[in-house]
This record gives sequence, structure tokens and C-alpha cells, in this order.
Amino acid sequence: MSLTETEAVFASIHETALNDLLTAFFTDRPRYLVYGSPSFVPVTTVAETSMPAIPFPGVPDGIQWRVTLGIPKVDLYKPTMPLPPELTLNPGQFSARLDVELCLNCRRLRIDPRPPRPGTAGRKDDRGGSDKPQPLARLTCCKLSVFAVGHLEHVIAITGEDAIALAVDAVEIVDIQPDELESVLECLLFMILQAVLAEVRLPLRALRVGAFELTPVVGPLIEDDQIKMRGNV
Amino acid sequence: MSEIIAALDEKGANKLLDTAIAEMDPFYREGEGNLGPFVAGYNITAKLTNGDVDLIPPGTIRIVDLEVDWSMELSFGLDLSSILPELCLPEICIDIPCVGTVCTPSICLDWQPVTISLPFSDHLKTTVDLQLAINLDGGQWKVEAVVLAVPELQLGPASTALLAAIAAAATPILLMVPFIGPFLAMAVDAIIALIAIAGATGFLGPIITPFISGLRIELYSQPQVFEVLPATSAVDPKVDFVIDAVAAEVQHNAPEDELVLTADISA
Repeated sequence: MSLTETEAVFASIHETALNDLLTAFFTDRPRYLVYGSPSFVPVTTVAETSMPAIPFPGVPDGIQWRVTLGIPKVDLYKPTMPLPPELTLNPGQFSARLDVELCLNCRRLRIDPRPPRPGTAGRKDDRGGSDKPQPLARLTCCKLSVFAVGHLEHVIAITGEDAIALAVDAVEIVDIQPDELESVLECLLFMILQAVLAEVRLPLRALRVGAFELTPVVGPLIEDDQIKMRGNV
Repeated sequence: MSEIIAALDEKGANKLLDTAIAEMDPFYREGEGNLGPFVAGYNITAKLTNGDVDLIPPGTIRIVDLEVDWSMELSFGLDLSSILPELCLPEICIDIPCVGTVCTPSICLDWQPVTISLPFSDHLKTTVDLQLAINLDGGQWKVEAVVLAVPELQLGPASTALLAAIAAAATPILLMVPFIGPFLAMAVDAIIALIAIAGATGFLGPIITPFISGLRIELYSQPQVFEVLPATSAVDPKVDFVIDAVAAEVQHNAPEDELVLTADISA
């Protein structure tokens, strides 16, 4: 069987090279793996992305948080990486495994003895004493192993080129009790992973190391542990 | 298994070579060559046009009907006395009464050398076999199709055309030579006869053959440190990876022959 089949050009990238490409992206731009509120990440740098704290009434400066993702390891169909039973890698899909660390700045809050004034909920406390950031009471973190399955999306990179992005369809965290807590964390990480991976737009040019111009007609599609595309010159 | 594979069928290879050959700068050279018994100076510009690509496993790209179009300016000096008979006015003597015999001197004309200059354009088609050459040079991966054997160029028609062009160019130049009228046709015929097809072929061959025999057609060229994404801000630097290895071959993947390039990369 020819590689090009009925088209003039063929290109494929094996999952090992795709993982190298993802490693290159996250190594050069690690801020796409680390997100935190100002107590953790005061400003956005190459290494970290600064995000607002979670505002909550009565919590000065909001709830401080940080999410640190590991570089995902991707397995393209056919499956070679074990998955938890809740997930199945179907034809045309990828699976991914990564470590995630969730951290909160857990503080003891002091109750202000003065009566609350209406309309101050959610605002910065202006009653004196509690407007200074509380000292870090305890950094509370947990590490999770996260599995995901998803599919490819044909997108446009920031350079205007044809590109692919990894779209997450489902996330699974193993062995968290109760199940409802597991579901909440899975939902949280489902949203985070979708957003993070949507930013990783890999130009098709890179998937074929710049060889032979290709206007996609078939694909990009996942099969035989590769991303394949066929098209015209 | 190679990490990255890119392949072209013959139709795709044809387009690739169309583009690669069209983007090549025109060839230019100048010098002197033997045009029969004459030494002719020339400058020549040549351009190639792709023909039909035939991929032949495991590593040959054959281009059938590769076209070479060239235009040339050439000039050579001609000593007419070497091809025309000596033209002399004979001595004439007259007997004059009381004076005696008076004779005019014999006068011979020297044929002045002339320079024949002409532009000449033509083309030829040839078939060349190219082989794949892969190099990492100065941090740049290159795959080129390189002509290894010197092709046999069919220069007969071009040589005939060159002789006709020389004849056409010589006529007005010779017409300016005094007293040549009766000898014009003889002079032109003599020049053409001296050069002959063999002389024209011997002149064109060494000039045009190197354009083909030294041909290198670039099929792939990328830096070893391959840029995936450019830097877009101070917090989003460029993203790149390293191309560790590149290979290329012609494969028969039934029912097609394909030009296949493979690469391995690392972060």
C-alpha cells in the first residue's frame, strides 16, 4: 500500500516524536504548565502564569492557589500505555497521562469584632487590621496522576499556519474517595486540561519537519501510533 | 521505525522539481572556446525547465525531457586572407612613343581581418538520472538530487542552428569589406565549412554540458534546530526542537513509487 494513497503528499509523526514536540513546547514555555495566584506567582514570566486569586467574601486578597502540571505523555491509538478501566482509547483518539499538583495557601482568618457593614462582601476589607496579607499559614498541596483521552482538532496556529491541537474528551483520576470528590476534581482538571492543551497549537509544518508542502485533504488523523495526513502539494 | 515520515508520489515529485528547478538562478559563464579553427569568446546564460519525473527505487530520480534554454553572445576574429584568394591588380605596361614602355606596379589587396559577433539562442532536451545526497552542513540539513553521470547531450540540431546563425551574421559584416562582392558567397561557405557541425558541437558541448553534469536540485533544506513557533512575547519565547537524523530514498510502495524522507527529532 502506498503512503500517499490517492493523494500526492503524505506526512506522519509517530507518538514518540509528538512527545518530543510537546516536551520542546513545555520546556521552552514552562508557564503553560504552572498557573498561580499572586501569592504564588506575582507576575507572569516564562516560567509561570499569574492568575487572579479566587475571590471570596471575608477572605482578604481571596483564596490563593497554584496548579502545576507535568508534561503530558501522549499515546496515539493503538493503545500502548495502560489506562484506568473507566477510560477507553478508541480509534482516532489519543490518551495522555500527566501529574498534577494542586496547592492552596491555607490561612487562618481572624474574625473582625466590629459589625459587618452592608455592601462590603467581596470587597477588600477596609476596617483596618485585616487589610494586610495574612502570613502564609500552611501550604497545602496534593499530587494527582491524571489520565485523559481526546481527539485532534484542526486549528490555526498563531503564525497563521494549519496546526493541530489536542482536544480532551474525558479525564480520570484514580482512587479518590468519595466518588463525588473524584468527580469534582475530574471536572476541575477536565476544564484546566482542555484550556491548557488548546493553547498548544502545533503547526503541521513542524509535524513533517518542513518537508514537502502539504495542503491537507485527508486528516490529520490518528492511526497506527501516528498522526497522519495526506494532501496536495 | 522513523519518527517522522514525509512522502511524495511521482505527481508530487514532479511538482516539487518543477518548483525547485524554476527557483534555481540562471547559470552564467563566459570564456573562450574552439569554434572549429577559430577561438571564439562567449558569454552564456542558461535556464532549466523540468521534464517528467520518474522515481526509480532505491534512489534514482530520472528526469525525462529536462529542457535547457540558453542564450549566448559569441564573437570570433576571421582572417579573410586565409579563406579568400589573393586579389591583385596585375602590372600593366604601355608602350609610349618617344617615352618607351611604362608599367604600372602590380597592386595586391590585403583582406582585412573581420570580427563576427552574434547572439544565439536555442534549447535542447535531455534525460538525466539524479541520486539523493543528504548532508548536514553548517547546522543545515539538506537533501539534494545530484547528477552523477554526465549525460549525452544531443547537440546536432543546436550545432546546425549555430552554423546557420553564423552564416546569417557573417554576410552583412563581410559586405562591408571592399571588393569582396564576387567572393562573398565563397567566404561564407568557407567559414561554415571550416567550422562544420563537428566544430559547432565541439564548441557547444563543453559549454553546455557542465550546466547539466554539475546539477544539484535542492529537495529539502531545514535548520538542524527547527523552529516550531516564533517568539511572540517576552514570556512566550520561540519553541524549537533538534532534527537528529534525516534520510531519503525512493521506495516502491505498490502500486506507486514514492520519494520518502524520514527524520528523527529530540526536544
